Amino acid sequence: MSLENILTDWSRYRKGLEQGGFHDYEHMWGMVIDLDKCTGCGACVVACYAENNLAVVGKDRFADGHAMHWLRIERYWDEPDLGEGRVAEYQHHGASFLPMHCQQCNAATCEPVCPVAATYHTPDGLNAQVYNRCIGSRYCSNNCPYRLRYFNFFSYYESSWPAPLHMQLNPDLTVRDKGVMEKCTFCVQRIRAAKDKAQMEDRKLTDGEFQPACVQTCPTSAMTFGDILDLHNPGKGVENTRAAALWRKHEVELGKTRQTKQDPDLRGYRIFEGLNTDPKVLFLERVREV
Amino acid sequence: MSLDKMKRREFLKVLGWGGVGTTLAGCDMPTTVTVQEGEEEVVAYLAPEEYVIPGIGVWYATTCAQCGSGCGVHGRVREGRVLKLEGNPDSQVNRGKLCQAGQASLQAHYNPDRITAPRVRRNGQLETIGWDQALALLEEKVGPSSGLAGERFAWVTDTVSGHQAVLLKAWMEAVGSRHHYVHEAVNDAVWRAVCRDMLGDENPRLRIDKARVILSFGADFLSTWGSTVQNSARYAEFRTAPRGVLVQAEPKMTVTGANADLWVPVRPGAEGVLALAIANRLAAEHGRDLSKLPADVQQQVRAYDIDKAARITGVSAEHIARIAALLNERAPSLVLAGTPAEGHARGYDNVAAAMLLNIVLGNVGKTLESGAGFPFPQLAAKTGGNRELLDFAAALESKSFDVVFFKGANPVYTAPEALKLKEKLAGVPFKVAFTQFEDETAQQADLVLPLRSMLEDWGTHVPTAQPEQMLISLQQPLMEPLYPETRGFGDALLALLKLRKAPQYAAYDDYYAYLRNAFAALPATLKQGAISDQQFWTRAVQKGVIEVGAGSGSLTARVAAFTVAEPADQGRPYTLVPSAGANLHDGRYANLPWLQELPDPISKVVWDSWAEMHPITAAKIGAKTGDRVRIESDHGAIEAKVYIYKGMHPDAIAVPLGQGHEAYGRYAQGRGVNPLKILGLATETKTGELAHHATRVQVTRIADKVGDKLVKLGGSEAQLGRKLVATVTADVYARTEGEA
Amino acid sequence: MSDQIKDINEDIRWAKINEDVLRSMENPRMGYWISVVVCLGLLSLAVGAEIYQYKTGIGVANLNWPQMWGLYIATFIFWIGMSHSGTLLSAILHITHADWRKPIYRFAEAMTTFTLMTAGLFPIIHLGRLWNMYWVLPYYSDRGIWPNFRSPLVWDAFAISTYLTSSALFLYIGSIPDLAICRDNARGWRKKLYTLLSLGWRGDDRQWRHFRKAYLVMACFLIPLAVSVHSIVSSDFAMSIMPGWHVTTFPPYFVAGALYSGCAGIITLFVLLRYYFRFEDYMTLAILDKTCKLTFAIAMVWTYLNLIEFSSVWYGHDMVAKELLISKFTGPYSPYFWAMLFFGSVVPFAMAFEKIRRSIRAMFIVSILLNIGMWLERWMIVAPTLSMSYEPFAFDVSWPSWVQWFIVLGSFGWFGLLFLIFVKIIPSVSMYEVKEMVFHRRHLAHKAIAEVMHQRTGDAKPVGGAGLEGAKP
Repeated sequence: MSLENILTDWSRYRKGLEQGGFHDYEHMWGMVIDLDKCTGCGACVVACYAENNLAVVGKDRFADGHAMHWLRIERYWDEPDLGEGRVAEYQHHGASFLPMHCQQCNAATCEPVCPVAATYHTPDGLNAQVYNRCIGSRYCSNNCPYRLRYFNFFSYYESSWPAPLHMQLNPDLTVRDKGVMEKCTFCVQRIRAAKDKAQMEDRKLTDGEFQPACVQTCPTSAMTFGDILDLHNPGKGVENTRAAALWRKHEVELGKTRQTKQDPDLRGYRIFEGLNTDPKVLFLERVREV
Repeated sequence: MSLDKMKRREFLKVLGWGGVGTTLAGCDMPTTVTVQEGEEEVVAYLAPEEYVIPGIGVWYATTCAQCGSGCGVHGRVREGRVLKLEGNPDSQVNRGKLCQAGQASLQAHYNPDRITAPRVRRNGQLETIGWDQALALLEEKVGPSSGLAGERFAWVTDTVSGHQAVLLKAWMEAVGSRHHYVHEAVNDAVWRAVCRDMLGDENPRLRIDKARVILSFGADFLSTWGSTVQNSARYAEFRTAPRGVLVQAEPKMTVTGANADLWVPVRPGAEGVLALAIANRLAAEHGRDLSKLPADVQQQVRAYDIDKAARITGVSAEHIARIAALLNERAPSLVLAGTPAEGHARGYDNVAAAMLLNIVLGNVGKTLESGAGFPFPQLAAKTGGNRELLDFAAALESKSFDVVFFKGANPVYTAPEALKLKEKLAGVPFKVAFTQFEDETAQQADLVLPLRSMLEDWGTHVPTAQPEQMLISLQQPLMEPLYPETRGFGDALLALLKLRKAPQYAAYDDYYAYLRNAFAALPATLKQGAISDQQFWTRAVQKGVIEVGAGSGSLTARVAAFTVAEPADQGRPYTLVPSAGANLHDGRYANLPWLQELPDPISKVVWDSWAEMHPITAAKIGAKTGDRVRIESDHGAIEAKVYIYKGMHPDAIAVPLGQGHEAYGRYAQGRGVNPLKILGLATETKTGELAHHATRVQVTRIADKVGDKLVKLGGSEAQLGRKLVATVTADVYARTEGEA
Repeated sequence: MSDQIKDINEDIRWAKINEDVLRSMENPRMGYWISVVVCLGLLSLAVGAEIYQYKTGIGVANLNWPQMWGLYIATFIFWIGMSHSGTLLSAILHITHADWRKPIYRFAEAMTTFTLMTAGLFPIIHLGRLWNMYWVLPYYSDRGIWPNFRSPLVWDAFAISTYLTSSALFLYIGSIPDLAICRDNARGWRKKLYTLLSLGWRGDDRQWRHFRKAYLVMACFLIPLAVSVHSIVSSDFAMSIMPGWHVTTFPPYFVAGALYSGCAGIITLFVLLRYYFRFEDYMTLAILDKTCKLTFAIAMVWTYLNLIEFSSVWYGHDMVAKELLISKFTGPYSPYFWAMLFFGSVVPFAMAFEKIRRSIRAMFIVSILLNIGMWLERWMIVAPTLSMSYEPFAFDVSWPSWVQWFIVLGSFGWFGLLFLIFVKIIPSVSMYEVKEMVFHRRHLAHKAIAEVMHQRTGDAKPVGGAGLEGAKP
């Protein structure tokens, strides 16, 4: 009965708000990206296109800002500051590359604003997007400080996959039609498949059993993916994954807007942490010789 | 076994469901792609094929054939379609990783612009014919009945290796021709020549992982130079504590340069002087002993103290001193030199000067290891450069050939306009192109033979850069060919061979049978306890690689004679840097939409060409980012939009390779410009390679075309005080994660 | 006419009021038809653009990453803002006993209803999949799927639908006595229509008493509703975390802006109705003068709230918000931003001068300028934040395509069309209230009666002293 439904949902939901989200997370998928290893090559981006049926929009639509890359590599030129307002004549420190895909925030700002709850938090700690439910108000994208949500401004299934290119489409997930928001899912279809497999074999998921396409392909292994659930309780929950170990090593904790580290020089940081979005992608600072 | 038998390999069945497996969610209008009656064949699952489980993807090992690196891949096959490629962890070349081109090879396979049947030129037009007719034509033109002497045949290919190289060589021997031109527009030919002369090994193994400091003169080893996925894994190792320092000196910032700890802009062509100045500093300041070097080399080193070198190279004396200090402090180091150093009249000498540093610093044998000892030299990768292109053109000039075969290479696109290759090719009576796509070269051909994609064909590959455990990588078809009227290259070679040398190859129905036989003939030591040839074969197919043991051999360190020249800078005011990127490489990936849509790592431009310049240069020209400029050499002019940043030497104008195709399908055609077209024909003195970084150009701002935009990703080029890419100093890193 | 001092001529005959108003509802003149054609033309532009956008995808509006919202949302807020006019005049001025509102409140109420009907279209037009728009409503579903009650867009859906229903009801209830007059004077289908609509109004005492109560209750209900509607619309922005949107003062700022543009809209329509229907006797310069004073006061409140926003950002420590503010003043949108400040804060000073307040022509221009300013304000809320916020790599400036402009223009056509239909169906001046006003003004001269009237019906307090001398009960 729907009324019952709304009442139970309401109290659960009220509780959730007070207590800060789920308390019975099954997993909490997170990532670590070592910016000192990332070379900005872009292999991850293409892997994402291949895995997730991302539309190729072409030059004109790219120019119009309709590109659909869930993962983009930002490139910043940081003028080496010589002090006294002078900047160097050359880019002696190279470029700054930043791979950005959905940060899967635990306190995602995109979630509360969706009028139809098409984006919500899963017990896996993922920020899920339900394409079928999306009505395309685009509020989520406007409220994402990272600007990591991409909207299907057009239908691309004809223009992007002329036959026989469509045969490459991954049947494990959909091709999104116009009017739907989409974003990085941490390759949720792979998570799903691995979980099903583990369940069939009556065992727990193990670290490294699957990886998102970007992590898998990264030529320098700059990305590490894993369950970071045991971040605060070593020994509890799932086995300590490499990703969780890195989170702990860099003394970055979830649920904080400012980290209190024993050693403030540790490289781990989260982007726009101060906005209390509680992102689950940990970046390791780029190292520079001075 | 025949082709028909191959079709019976159950797991390769195409079920003909095409797009049906993929629903379109998030749309209530058309919900599924429907199978239209008569258009597609629907095969019921009532009698399932053994290896096809609906909904379950199975991974098969094969080898990526996009470049010569020979990365092992796993391809996911579901319902008879290959969907996704990933690196094969069993291959020590790429250790489970893959670059963008490898990922995008799916699109070469499923490309809508593939040639689906042989075509022959009749009355100036290419007309579709059947393979029978094509083979008959080949017999007439190429077979013994043609009566042509062997020297009248030539092949132009890209890097070839494995059993295809063997068959190709066998054919050459059968007809008695020596003319196999291996042409790679983006290459390291000069580096290889220097390695051969100074280390005694053309292809030494670069132990980037072992180095504590790398000095690279424009060698873009993370993106275009050498075996990049292998290099990247080693680079990751290099960046792990204790962290190595990367110094890059080049006229245009490459991806490797963008990742450097210290990037210095070098005046184009002055790399050799810079290397000598560093040697000078090493001797003068750090007491390195140069006395064992040849006298003329010592003299050259003495000639360039850092202040003089600073004036010539544009690199400040402090930077030269610091580089020298770094190299002195941290051992072992590794000095590399890439295309920007090579592509000058005295490119060899530039690279030799860089190699001198390796010798002075004692890197030979430490970070430069011998790559020799591959037990099957006949299978080894045959690589080449631009000299082969020039030689080929020269041979065409003297009307040396009656029949030319093309495979992989696209010389009509990569040759400078001044070479007039297209005109010269017109003089060849019969040109055959083995290709998947109608590229510029195929358009000139008289017979175009459609090849299978790398995901439909059998093959073996030997990596151009062998890992410590040397290997042969096996390529197997992952699905039924999309187009029945295509052939594998191996099959085509066998067919050609049978025309000439029937008895020896008559036993093989197809290339698959030939490979099986070749594998059976491999020495027992490689079979690692397999009880039968069948078992060995099955294991090899499953694993995708056969390890053939560690190489043997050592390098010698001998300083070859060289004389570094200072850049002359004559003629027009700027030097054109035709820069290669990993996305489009030399233009061969321009027909892959994923790679066209992947922003260039440096400029973030997509689907187009652009011209990179330093703000100082831009100010002189009066151009802003997005303005249109005309870049004019003695041999032609190109136009592109400007991208301005501080990763350029002010004397250099960089235009990326890869665009400007006149053919090559809908994604490549008519986009941007091809800077190779306006290159001069000056050559490198010692190797005869094209001096591709020595073309001087004039740059002028011209009026914009209406509606023509520089399409690039990204708004702000600076972080504006936000903590996005944060940095720590190496000292802090050494303390926190130092000797982990 | 410029010497009109009184709000209304108390000597006007009641029959003349009926005649004048009913005349406005008959025999459309050429000007009317031209207006209809213009409105239909604008509307068809929008319909064409919308069909194109629906078929092709919302990308044709040149919305993009990161500029996901554009003129649609800005114009949505603009029309919602306009809707505050009716509530202000009918409800607020009603319970504050400002009886000068009486001749002009009817069309203001109609404006409320029609602007809401216009505004409500925009969130639908702007949806990527507008055919699923009903998903934002909490309808019964066995699947147990509900909208997300945390989302301000759902609050919008509630607020706007409630406001639209209430204001339509308010408009209708207030018109019943007039509809009865229409019924009594109409023939043919009109007679049937008004018979139906007037709900058997006979004007007896009991009916009047119930009517008064219902009207007052509705008025009291509408005031908090109106304030909350625009507060909720403001929370579309204020509830986000984006710089320039995440502003605590947004609810009052939006309400002030809404009242402001509503008043300006009333002035525009005031001038038009007065001109077309020769309503000089009812829509007097004195009333215009009062409306202008009110508008001026609200303009100053709006300006003040602007200054508060600027200074709180300026003295705050949010670097990103400050960057955005500076960009508004100097960046790509600065011409529009300065135009907004000019039209919104400088132009209203024209209304400080009585001469201008009482000039029909001047006020027509001024009121339109004010509304251009207010429309720009809404656009300057939406666009700059999207063009530059936290992620520098996502900075981008883009301009609306013709599709957006057509639909925005079409919305004016749609509103105009609704209004043109309204003036021919429902009396655009409240006859019974004008009569009431005339009656009260007449009797205001008689102190004792005025006192009684004041106590009984809440008319203006009798003013003692000069001007009333000689009046004998």
